[in-house]
Amino acid sequence: MNNKENDELFLANKEIALQNLQREKRAAELLIANKELAFQNKEKETRAQELIIANKELAFQNKEKEKRAEELIIANRELKSAEDDIRKLNDELERKVKERTSQLEIANKELEVVNKELESFSYSVSHDLRAPIRAIHGYTNILAEDYIDNFDAEGLKVFQAITRNSKKMGELIDDLLAFSKLGRKQVSFSAIDMNELLKIVQDEITEEDENVPNYVVNILPPAMGDKSLIKQVWINLISNAIKYSRHKPETIVEIGAYQKNDMIVYFVKDKGAGFDMQYYDKLFGVFQRLHSQEEFEGTGIGLAIVQKIVQRHNGLAWAESELDHGSCFYFSLPSIEQTLI
Amino acid sequence: MSYHNVEILFVEDSQDDAALTIRALNKSGFNNKLHHVVNGAEALDFLFCRGNYIGRNPLEFPKLVLLDLKMPKVSGLQVLEKIKADPNLKSLPVVMLTSSNEGPDIEQCFAMGANSYIVKPVDSDNFFQAVKQIGLYWIDLSQPAL
Repeated sequence: MNNKENDELFLANKEIALQNLQREKRAAELLIANKELAFQNKEKETRAQELIIANKELAFQNKEKEKRAEELIIANRELKSAEDDIRKLNDELERKVKERTSQLEIANKELEVVNKELESFSYSVSHDLRAPIRAIHGYTNILAEDYIDNFDAEGLKVFQAITRNSKKMGELIDDLLAFSKLGRKQVSFSAIDMNELLKIVQDEITEEDENVPNYVVNILPPAMGDKSLIKQVWINLISNAIKYSRHKPETIVEIGAYQKNDMIVYFVKDKGAGFDMQYYDKLFGVFQRLHSQEEFEGTGIGLAIVQKIVQRHNGLAWAESELDHGSCFYFSLPSIEQTLI
Repeated sequence: MSYHNVEILFVEDSQDDAALTIRALNKSGFNNKLHHVVNGAEALDFLFCRGNYIGRNPLEFPKLVLLDLKMPKVSGLQVLEKIKADPNLKSLPVVMLTSSNEGPDIEQCFAMGANSYIVKPVDSDNFFQAVKQIGLYWIDLSQPAL
């Protein structure tokens, strides 16, 4: 072999070696590319799997939504029927209210009629009973003035009995009238200075009654009431205290007051004849008396009037007593503070 | 019958009240010039000179009309209304007499021009005093309007 051939072989070998190296490099690159592809394939599979799961999830959620929509439709339907029910109930209620209102209106009208009847009844009591009793009075008076000398002792006794009884009947009729009038009188409330009112009452009583009592008067708080009516209450209670102390060596009338909740309680206390508490239920009755006419005169209207007046003020009247040791009468009226609220 | 110089026209349907009132007036010295009629219609006849009173002098007026409130047919209120509506009679003093102080009558009477309103007292002494006072005031004390 010559050198030239050797050189050429050497060169060819080098070329082959280089080519081999390049091939190897490409093979290595291919290997890497293949690996990459395999990895990408795996990734895709994973994503596909995930997509399937996501799809499944979506399908489930869709189903849920459909279900919820159906439920909502049902709930709506129920709501609507509940609304209908409520409307029906409301209508029913309204109808019932209307019915009750008209019933109440009728009852009110009936009450008004009854009231009117009562009014005209007391009117005719006053007018029709007063007229004949006035005539009896008048004629017995004529007898007394012009014919009294013609009576013998027995005749005179009978005549006096007639006079006494007709007088009594006149008083009863007037008392009954005064009492029935109270029920219809308008009560006009204003703040009453009780100390002032009591003083007026005391003066009036002193003028009329010869038995002037020893008063023990405490400071009286004001209250709400109809002054002229409350004045009547004081007059009746104090006159009673004086009257029923008549047989005692001295007449002591204690007057005071205290506050109880929203009400002011006033009291009139005496040391007079008192009464037996077992007859208490009769105490405030119309024409009820716990003492005989001979012992203490009167028609038995005073305390009934007291009770009626106090009741018309939304108050209460009550009493405590011990036979022969005196009585204490109480009445309550709304306080001013309570009325201001 | 002469109706000359009648000072009190007394209108009262109740025989008893009339007898007692007239007696009380008599006893108090007001007997002479009283004329009693028993209902409202007759009172109007007297005042307006018609019916039984057609011959009465219409220029002569009583000093006082004592007028019961509650009478059948023509009531005291209606008589009062006629008196106060008449230009010649409206100044005539009218004292209303009534058995009771019930009802809206008091207000109504005064609103219609009544000069006084007296509730006949049940008690005979008080009744006598009331009638006497009416006579004393309206006949003796008060100046005649007409």
